[in-house]
Amino acid sequence: MTEFIIRRTLQSVLVLFLITLVTFGLIHAAPGGPFQIMLAPGLSPEAMEIQAHNMGLDKPLPMQYLSWLGNLLQGDLGYTFKNHVPIGEIIWPTVKNTFILMSVAWLLTLVIAIPWGIYNSTKEYSLSDQTASFISYIGFAMPTFWFGIILQQIFSIKLDLLPLADMYSMDKEGQFGDLMLHLVLPVTVLTLGFLAAYVKYSRSSMMEVLNQDYIRTARAKGVQEGKVIYKHALRNALIPIITIIALDLPLLVAGAAITESVFNWPGMGRLFVQMAVAREYSVLMAITLLTAVIVIFGNLLADLLYAVVDPRVQLGKRGGRSA
Amino acid sequence: MEEKLLEIENLTAGFLTVGGTVKATEHLSISIEKGKTVCLVGESGSGKSVTSLAVMRLIDYNGGAILEGSIKFQGEDLAKKSQDEMIRIRGNKIAMIFQDPMSSLNPVYTIGDQIAESIMLHRKKGKKEARKMAVDMLRLVGIPAPEIRVKQYPHELSGGMCQRVVIAIALACDPSLLIADEPTTALDVTVQAQILDLLRSLQKELGMSILLITHDMGVAAEMADRIAVMYAGIIVEEGSANEIFARPSHPYTEGLLKSVPGLEGARGEELYTIRGNIPGLSQLPEGCRFHPRCPYAKDICREKAPPVMAVTEDHYASCWMYSEEGGAAAWKNETKPEVSR
Amino acid sequence: MSEANLQTSTVIPQVEVQASKPLKRPPGPWRTAWSKFRRNPYAVTGLVVLLIFIIGGAAAPWLTKYDPAKIDMMFVNVKAGTDGHLLGTDELGRDIFARLLYSARISLTVGFSVAAGSVIIGAIIGSISGFFGGFIDTCFMRLVDVMNSIPLLFLNILVLAIFGTEFRYMIIVLILTSWMSVARLVRGMFLQLREMQYVEAARAIGVSNLGIIFKHLLRNASFPIIVNATLMVGSAILSESALSYLGLGIQAPKTSWGLMLSNAQEFMLVDPLQAVYPGVCILLVVLAVNFIGDGIQDSLNPRQKMSERRIDRWRKSFLKSKI
Repeated sequence: MTEFIIRRTLQSVLVLFLITLVTFGLIHAAPGGPFQIMLAPGLSPEAMEIQAHNMGLDKPLPMQYLSWLGNLLQGDLGYTFKNHVPIGEIIWPTVKNTFILMSVAWLLTLVIAIPWGIYNSTKEYSLSDQTASFISYIGFAMPTFWFGIILQQIFSIKLDLLPLADMYSMDKEGQFGDLMLHLVLPVTVLTLGFLAAYVKYSRSSMMEVLNQDYIRTARAKGVQEGKVIYKHALRNALIPIITIIALDLPLLVAGAAITESVFNWPGMGRLFVQMAVAREYSVLMAITLLTAVIVIFGNLLADLLYAVVDPRVQLGKRGGRSA
Repeated sequence: MEEKLLEIENLTAGFLTVGGTVKATEHLSISIEKGKTVCLVGESGSGKSVTSLAVMRLIDYNGGAILEGSIKFQGEDLAKKSQDEMIRIRGNKIAMIFQDPMSSLNPVYTIGDQIAESIMLHRKKGKKEARKMAVDMLRLVGIPAPEIRVKQYPHELSGGMCQRVVIAIALACDPSLLIADEPTTALDVTVQAQILDLLRSLQKELGMSILLITHDMGVAAEMADRIAVMYAGIIVEEGSANEIFARPSHPYTEGLLKSVPGLEGARGEELYTIRGNIPGLSQLPEGCRFHPRCPYAKDICREKAPPVMAVTEDHYASCWMYSEEGGAAAWKNETKPEVSR
Repeated sequence: MSEANLQTSTVIPQVEVQASKPLKRPPGPWRTAWSKFRRNPYAVTGLVVLLIFIIGGAAAPWLTKYDPAKIDMMFVNVKAGTDGHLLGTDELGRDIFARLLYSARISLTVGFSVAAGSVIIGAIIGSISGFFGGFIDTCFMRLVDVMNSIPLLFLNILVLAIFGTEFRYMIIVLILTSWMSVARLVRGMFLQLREMQYVEAARAIGVSNLGIIFKHLLRNASFPIIVNATLMVGSAILSESALSYLGLGIQAPKTSWGLMLSNAQEFMLVDPLQAVYPGVCILLVVLAVNFIGDGIQDSLNPRQKMSERRIDRWRKSFLKSKI
């Protein structure tokens, strides 16, 4: 157990290190280097040099990388090029906003998707199953932002029922009810996207379990059909579902760049897009790294959870399954 | 004549598919007396497993149904029961064990839980008592250190041990009938013998009847009081075990017996195989179902299905060879190959 | 043993089919797959729809007399049907029908070139990894891990922000973030097939390493790769539209469905239909390629209707291009 965690952590650190290299390398591979955007326009060559020197941009690349990495390790994400604002101050509030949006959408998805998928697994080709299939196909083929725009047109502009965008109305900052109203549309968009995958996933996972021999054994024991499904099958079917859930956990923070942009939701995804357009490289680097850390953490969590819910799995021994 | 525990009469069971109904068994009749063992023998695809699933009414969950006939068990017709009534019989009066013990146990529950579940269901015992009985059951089926094993998961046990656990689950409520569907096929040869011994001694101890399904004539020889040989959904020969082995009367039975590798046969001698394959259920041949593979097939075999004929008293075969209409005389005149046994 | 016994003991492996015509050569895998594909109404519809879009894009100059980039302030927001503008004009007087047609070119080019590029890169990396194994394999698989740890939508945005929003950069970055599934698949095939008898046999008769790769192994992997590629076409089209919508993809005067939607959102009050057409186009094309992919998959392996791997791929594409 501890050995597994140590090994996985070391692996994660290595992956993270590679990611810092890649992002740093990418930014410095930009045509003309990062200088042009970083420096205030209209400066004389001498002034430019002085400013570059102040920002440490005249040092050789490896040195720059090391000092950036050193600052990172101390929790210092650096400053924006324009306005010179500490990056942490920009990022942290957006994390909270993203978390609100994503957790609502995600929990809603799980509450709908898992029971629905399981129900469909026992009622193959029923109306409910066909509906789920239809939603999946549409959900996968439809661009999220388009769905968002259409919802805005119908519910905000035509019917005037729900707010068009943003997190709060102008004069209602911080009010819970207002927040809920603003959540409806973006949550609908995200939930449809998630549902498409999760319903199918829980259905197929359940179907596979229902075909197993031990389900027949349970029936042969005289177990009621309801209990066969909710006791014998469900516990097994949940194993892969839980793994996927853990793998998706990082999204709660990494956020939804597109949906947040459509609904002008002040989250991390929208911030990333805005900073990309503004070419604030250091903010982009910081967010990329932050999300990478969370994703890696999610993967680790998925592995641990897997070992908890499946007695066949012993940590660190992948081959331990299906002896 | 002893009391019959199970009487299957005229059973036709099949599956509903897009192309129509496929009958996996047709007009099948068989009965089991108390405390006896009946073997259903046949190749895979002959409909023997479907028969067992039909008796348990588990066939309903596989997209199948009983189309005709009755299954009388202790005077009640199982074919007419609802699933709600069946769950009180399954695991209680009739229990079943399956081919692959490793996959027959739920991987996420301890074996103790799995045995106790059936005791709690049918004996209305509390959890604690059921667990205690589970340990007793493990001891009964010969698992060493049952107090420790009871807390283990299936993947921690070997195949033979798993099959013992499956048997323990099946026998937990002291059933009057045990259906064993190829109980030893997935096991090593030495373990096979152990499991068969166990089943035999448990049968003596508990007095249950066994419906044993196997493709292995050797297993049948060891276990059976009566044998029914199935081919392509029908019983082609039925009789006491001694009769069947002494006087195999259907050409198919004869072929099955000949294809058992024996120690007494000369080495290097080519092993007998019945030519061809068992036909698919949707493309059964006209006439006798076995005729394309039968070494003695005559014209009548290709045209008409043979009736069930008594070879001797209490030994039946479904073959034209024994029917006057089929010109039994014609066969008698030919050199009917003796089966040397 | 008697004489008669010896006569019957000849081994005849198969029943001779009575009175059957001599069989023709059995149809090849491609032909069998096609004959099954043809009978799948969804797949055929998908193929027809895709062909319509391909023809529409290719024949754009003959189907409309308007230049999609031509701004005509005299005919701003003209209603559909006026003056030969089939679907009207947008806020800058550009013909909407013409823009839709020319956008099809862009989207399909992106879709197919990204799929082709990813298949090539993925197949190369996967083959090398799977064939040689060992250290090389470990390195490549770590690389795949790194790629999967970075939120790919962020990576796409990051690269386009750094290098600029040129068309070729977009295709390159989409390829670089899409090849992993093919590499995994090819590698898996290799590991599976490497042990098989006929590869051994091929080695024994002295076929060179490269010969083995291309003659035996890739032929076995070709169908799953094609299915994977069709899904990638859809995913790339969605990515392109999302990036263009965010302002990081196709730029005016070029035109793309995503870009059109981004304009349409601003002018939603004036003409809501402008937001409908491009979205429907994206939806139809992606649905079409997904149906084609499913059709191919089912024609190969009808039992495995909705394998978990496929759902997983869908899920990844959602996270990458739509969230």
